[in-house]
Formats: sequence, structure tokens, C-alpha cells
Amino acid sequence: MSGDEMNPAAVAQAVVDVQGDDRWMSQHTRFVLECKDAEPEVLFIGDSMVQLMQQYEVWRELFSPLHALNFGIGGDTTCNVLWRLQNGELDNIWPKVAVVWVGTNNYEHSAEQVAGGIFAIAQLLTSRLPKTKVVVLGLLARGERPNPLREKNAAVNGLLRSLLPQLGQAQFLDVGEGFVHSDGTISTRDMFDFLHLTSAGYRAIAKPLSDLLLQILEETPEERRASLV
Amino acid sequence: MSAEDSNPAATPTPCVDTQGDGRWMSLHNHFVSNSKDKEPDVLFVGDSLVQLLHQFEVWRELFSPLHALNFGVGGDATQHVLWRLSNGELAHISPKVVVLWVGTNNHGHTAEQTCGGIMAIVQLIKDKLPNAQTVILGLLPRGKMPNPLRDRNARVNKLVQEAVSSLPHASLLNVDPGFVHSDGSISHQDLYDYLHLTPQGYQAVCQTIHTHLKGLLEKTG
Repeated sequence: MSGDEMNPAAVAQAVVDVQGDDRWMSQHTRFVLECKDAEPEVLFIGDSMVQLMQQYEVWRELFSPLHALNFGIGGDTTCNVLWRLQNGELDNIWPKVAVVWVGTNNYEHSAEQVAGGIFAIAQLLTSRLPKTKVVVLGLLARGERPNPLREKNAAVNGLLRSLLPQLGQAQFLDVGEGFVHSDGTISTRDMFDFLHLTSAGYRAIAKPLSDLLLQILEETPEERRASLV
Repeated sequence: MSAEDSNPAATPTPCVDTQGDGRWMSLHNHFVSNSKDKEPDVLFVGDSLVQLLHQFEVWRELFSPLHALNFGVGGDATQHVLWRLSNGELAHISPKVVVLWVGTNNHGHTAEQTCGGIMAIVQLIKDKLPNAQTVILGLLPRGKMPNPLRDRNARVNKLVQEAVSSLPHASLLNVDPGFVHSDGSISHQDLYDYLHLTPQGYQAVCQTIHTHLKGLLEKTG
């Protein structure tokens, strides 16, 4: 993937506090602090899709037991996640798996640029943490009925499917199956505002994700023991 | 020219779809049609703090039994709620109580303008539902440490309290259980991003709302 400098979605960028309460930086600072004491096996990083998951029961049931850290921040783009990863959120942690879910908020970027931004995140992770497997979650459909953002997110997913295999440690996981009904609509039972998942929506995606994580975590113990010798 | 025209927070304004998937209008239409076959005793209306409440167990435990409907939309400021209520969301229902929680997203508006927006909503509800009580929930503090938005929200609450003191059909309910600690900080255990409530945060807030609602509903019979 060439010309990352030309891809605005692959340029690290902090969020500027326009509202006046500095919440983004407060959250980032808290995550950096968490890295000091935590020994996570799984790191989740991304936008509100990641962040909100921690507020539902499903997190406690399926992901806390895996010693997972949640570094999601609502509204984040690939640029913001890149900045956070480059500025402390990977310090002193050696997770076995990093789950990346970001891209749906990259409104000013094309599908190609967004895919490039997500790829840059995966690249950063595999270079900083060579033993860590990276799981990139596909962007979900959004909006009540078919619309340009659904097409864009689907295009991003298509590009990621072909890009990610270039990184041996990274893989793509599509968790969007079943959200769009045969009439093209999305139900508020799954996405309460046609973007963010309900408890039921999270249960649907958590199953394939936790299955994959368990599989990866079971595969790696031997490597970890070997590295301690 | 009326006072409302000079206050953007009190001028009904729909949300413009800048993202491209029309979600705001979808939700509004959803609420309008949703209200056609429901007979709620309580209507919650406002921003994401209302909307997110609907997603957690606490809603089912405390508010479903009160026959409550939830018309919260994330990101909404007073002018958006005003537009929604003026354009069908109150057309087919006669709740006894309307719980209004909005104002924290009125960025760019002064505390006075935001209060004006809230009071415009209160007036609209009175016009459309003459027998309903409106319970305005106080804006919560936000941000990890003290900041101008906390001051602004507190000032809005104070102005609203003064404005409703003479009104028989509206009141301000302070639902902040003490989120700000002695060092001025707010915990992410209560407000996970220093703005939105965790389920734990909602428990504390909702007990207060529930107790108050039960009292009101018992009075109205």
C-alpha cells in the first residue's frame, strides 16, 4: 500500500476539543494509564461500536473473562485511532489479539482511503506487536434503508478482504450478516438509531467474535511459553 | 418578530442529514408512527441521555411498567426536540407526564438561550397536551474535571428552575446523585466518556426519576 502520506485517512490526528470539556483527551489519558497496570490478552480499539459494547452485559459475559481492554472512543476516525496507538495506548501491553473496529465515522474520506486507514492501523499493530494477531471487524450497514453509506462501508469491507492478507498476522472478520432484512431495512431492535447496536445486536456479533478470539487464544499458549524460556 | 425567532435554541429546526444515511428523519418518522397505536402514560423525550436509557435493563425494570415511550435522539439540542414535537411526535398520544431531558448539546448557545429553548418546549407541550405535567430533568455535569460546560449546564438548570417556579404544569427535577467527587472529578464508572451514563450511573439517576413519576402518576390517577 503506497502513498500513505497522501491518504488523509492514514494520517494520525488527535481530536480537537471544540465542545469545551476535553473529553477525548481525558479518555485517551485514562487508556494510557490503564496500560501501566493491565495485562490484557485482548485489546479492543476503535470508535463507539467498540466503546458501547463495554456498557452491555455481553462484555462482562464474553470478553472480560478473556482479560480484554476496551479502548473505544465514540466518534473516532481511523486518524484518531492511529494517533492514540502512536501516543501511548500500546505502551507496556502485549495482548495476544488486537480487535480493530473503526471506519464508519470517516465521513470525509472515500472507501479506498478508509480501507487504507484501517490497513495502516493493522500495519502499525503488527509492527509494534509482532506476536499479536490482529482481527479487523467489517463495517456494519447503517441507516434504516439502502443509502450511500451502506455502499461505502461495504466497499471498505471488500477492499479490506484483499488488503489484509498481505499482513500475515491480520485477518478480516465480517460480523454484519443478518442485519439487513430482505426488504433492505435495518430494525431498531438491532440498531437503536440505525447505527449503534442494541443489546440484541451486540449478542449477534459477539458470538462469532468470541468464537474466533477463543480459537486464537487457544492457539497461542505454546508460543507464549516458548518466548518465556 | 417573536422572541422565539431571535433565539436559535427556541426555533424549531430539523437536523440536516450531513452524514448521508437519513437516520435522524428515520427515527423521527419511526416515533410518529410508533405513537399511533401506543397509549403511554409517560413520554421521555430528549437527547442521547434519553435514548441510551432505553437500551439498558433499568428501562424495563422501572419505566416499562409505567407505560413509558422513549423519543430520545442522540445529538439533539432544544431546537431539534422542538421541531420533532411540533411535527407529529405528540399527535397521537396523551401521556400524563412528559419527561424532558435536553440542553447539553446546545453548543454555541448561551445558558439563557438554552433555557429559552427548554421553556419553548414546555410551552409547546402545554399547548398540545393541556393536562400533562412536564418534568424537566436537570442537565448533568460533564467532562472529567471542572470546565466551562459544567458551569453552563449548572446555569441552565438555575435559569430553568426560576422559570418554572411559577408554573403549575412544569417542574425541574435534579437527578444528579453527586457525580462530581470532592476533587472535582467525574468517574468513568458513572459517565463512561464523561458525558454518557453507564448502567450504574443510570441506576442512581433513574431511582430519583421513578420515585418522582410514581408520585405524579398517583396524583393524576
